[in-house]
Amino acid sequence: MTARTFKSEESVAEDVTETGCNVYGIVPAGPGRVPEDLNGIDDMPVRVVPHDEIAAVITDIRLDRPPGRRAELVAYSRVLDTLASSGAVVPVRFGSVVRDEEAVVTDLLLPQQAWFSRLLAELDGRAQFNLSVRYVQEAALTEVVDADPTIARLRERTRGTPSNAALADRVRLGELVSQAMQDKRTADADVLAEAVLPYAAAHRIRLGSDVDQLADFILLIDNDRRDDFEQRLESLAESMHGRMRLSLVGPLAPYEFVGGD
Amino acid sequence: MSVQSVQNRGGGYLERPAPSSLADVVAIILDKGVVIDAYVRVSLVGIELLTIDARIVIASVDTYLRFAEATNRLDLVKHGGGKPLDEFIESMTESGAGGKTKGAVEGVKSALTGGGDKDDDKDDDEGSRRRPRKTSSRHRSEQK
Repeated sequence: MTARTFKSEESVAEDVTETGCNVYGIVPAGPGRVPEDLNGIDDMPVRVVPHDEIAAVITDIRLDRPPGRRAELVAYSRVLDTLASSGAVVPVRFGSVVRDEEAVVTDLLLPQQAWFSRLLAELDGRAQFNLSVRYVQEAALTEVVDADPTIARLRERTRGTPSNAALADRVRLGELVSQAMQDKRTADADVLAEAVLPYAAAHRIRLGSDVDQLADFILLIDNDRRDDFEQRLESLAESMHGRMRLSLVGPLAPYEFVGGD
Repeated sequence: MSVQSVQNRGGGYLERPAPSSLADVVAIILDKGVVIDAYVRVSLVGIELLTIDARIVIASVDTYLRFAEATNRLDLVKHGGGKPLDEFIESMTESGAGGKTKGAVEGVKSALTGGGDKDDDKDDDEGSRRRPRKTSSRHRSEQK
């Protein structure tokens, strides 16, 4: 590749390359995977570096650039989700920059060719969906207060007092509520998992920790099951209305199903 | 075509936000994806910093006080709840509600503020509600 320099002096004598290749993901080689007008970080045009049956999707990136911000994260996920909408892609972690195109082939694609190929075959025809389930906070907390007399009593005692008073009682109340919510989350997440996981080829579940968070379900869904899956979620969301809110993001690139953790 | 546009298929109750806030995008992509060996990578200082910032977790006493405060804000009116979740699901299945389309009572209002936030809730400051979920959550995973 041409290692472009952004200083226009001719005296850049050191072997410091000032651009690198930002790697977004690995796709099967072949035409038609990258839309003509697809741009990545810093609006750089997306290019493909092939090696045999696989290819890395990259943009040039300046190495002296300021810290990563929202626009770069958004650009990265836009590139990957666009790739995912037209076929299999193995996302490469945000911020992965390789020296140049040659290094992309010899250090990245070549040594892991078999592994990438296998992963691409597994991911073909599937997409990631992130289902986030939150409690309607008042409803959940009301249940918690109703179910535990100690919590109800502590609540009565601390309610309406200035926030710097009765600190021990407040901490105790919060601790009990936090524990009760944790139990509730665990039980509810199990029930939700039973309803949702039959649609998924693979999954991850993360219980929430904040007051209104129940759980996030990260799901790998076969394309031909997607309609059934979405209908199921719609009816779940309807039946939970007033107690929980279900929010679905996707289809996304399979960020969480590429073997790493 | 971008797949990030808001999709509101068949909907109403299931929210379909486009992940647009920084916290949303971070939660989706941070620490995810294939890791390239360090000797192959060129490091970008800024990006490493951003990764670290997003992992800040608050202390547990603060967490408890937040739970306490939320509990004390309650007006104890009865919500339709109380029934265990599995009964909800059963009764829904029995009544054959699957796939029924309802009006968009709670449409996708929050695409810009980033997803599942309540539109009827008070405006909490973004940091307290949209913390990246990975930081302090438990992990179960299973690959086919």
